[in-house]
Amino acid sequence: MQRIIQRFFQSAQSTGAPGAEAADAAAAPNHHAHALQIWAAQIDTSRQQMEDAVVALSSRFAAIVDQLDSALRMGLSGDGEGVSNDAQRAEVDLLEVVNSLKAIQHSRQTLSQNVRSIVAYIGELRQMADEVGVIAFKTNLLALNAAIEAAHAGESGRGFAVVAHEVRALSDASRQTGRLITEKVGSISATLERIAATNESIAAEDDQAIATAETRIREVLTRFRSRTEAMANAVNQANRQSGEIKEEVAHSLVQLQFQDRVSQILSHVATSMRALGAADAAAGAANTDELARRSLETMAASYTTDEQRRIHDGLDAKAVEPQQVTFF
Amino acid sequence: MAKKILLVDDSASVRTVAGIALRGAGYEVVEAANGQEGLGRLNGDKINLIISDVNMPVMDGITFLKEVKRHPNYRFTPVIMLTTEAGEDKKQEGRAAGAKAWIVKPFQPQTMLDAVSKLILA
Repeated sequence: MQRIIQRFFQSAQSTGAPGAEAADAAAAPNHHAHALQIWAAQIDTSRQQMEDAVVALSSRFAAIVDQLDSALRMGLSGDGEGVSNDAQRAEVDLLEVVNSLKAIQHSRQTLSQNVRSIVAYIGELRQMADEVGVIAFKTNLLALNAAIEAAHAGESGRGFAVVAHEVRALSDASRQTGRLITEKVGSISATLERIAATNESIAAEDDQAIATAETRIREVLTRFRSRTEAMANAVNQANRQSGEIKEEVAHSLVQLQFQDRVSQILSHVATSMRALGAADAAAGAANTDELARRSLETMAASYTTDEQRRIHDGLDAKAVEPQQVTFF
Repeated sequence: MAKKILLVDDSASVRTVAGIALRGAGYEVVEAANGQEGLGRLNGDKINLIISDVNMPVMDGITFLKEVKRHPNYRFTPVIMLTTEAGEDKKQEGRAAGAKAWIVKPFQPQTMLDAVSKLILA
């Protein structure tokens, strides 16, 4: 910029003799001052356009980050490990259901065994009822013999005949009771047999149903595990990509800050050019070298960045890197 | 409730860039375009931290910082200066005026957030 200004003034000065410009200044338009004002205005306009564009660009970045966060929250909350854990919990829960069904199956088998045991006791009861019948039959025979002997004894056996008659009556009652017991036991036995048969039939159907359910559950779990593994991978990948995008945005945020830096440098240049143009117009293009020197001095006092100072001193501007924080 | 940060900078792009990082980290951000506007934002609301540029029109950052330190309600509010100004003299001027940290632009957003979380008032 310094070289451009010097070249401009050299070109302007070569068009007339020194000293003549001051005399002609009032009459002739001051092209130096006018040009400086136009340059400054062009720089200001460019600076403003650049700032507007960078603000719009930054807002777009903000919107992208917000949308990214929102999408991740809505669709892929949590992380891949969380999805895998959910799948494992589902597998444990469903296998518990299978185990519960197996426990019910075991209870039914125990019930069948108990019914079968009762049926076995029924056989013993029937045998005992039969024995009651045999005892009654023998008692009856005994009473009959006693009645015959009582008849042989005549009058003296009359009382004994009465007893023998009563014993026979008791024997008949016993035989009747034994027969009723046998009938009832038979009835109970038949019912228990039906219960046991029905229970065993249901148990067989249950075995089949539980085996089918377990197979289906394991198939579902296998498919579920496959899907959740794919989902977990997708979630992990989305989270990883989200992190990468945010890192890219963070880098971009650093680059976008150069607009402020460039804007400040251009602002200093435009201000200096405008001041030089004003001074030049007032002086009538006389002593432009001195005006330019003073203008550069004034501009140097406004520098804020290292590269401004380095360029002013004729050095190369170093690459600007993000700085660390100085804590006080 | 989100902690509130007053962000004072005449550059709309810097306010936007810093705002993205701060809001993304969960802070509430109040913006002002110069020191005078910044003082206008100190209207009794709780401000947990101030981030201010140095070179601004109307009222520069160092003057603003001195005014904040004179304010009865905000004198203990930590202030971070965020500026292109890298000169040691200016940095020491900020320190003397009561700044807690000095960050030179361009800055890594995470660097600024680390400084904020270290200094912000509960």
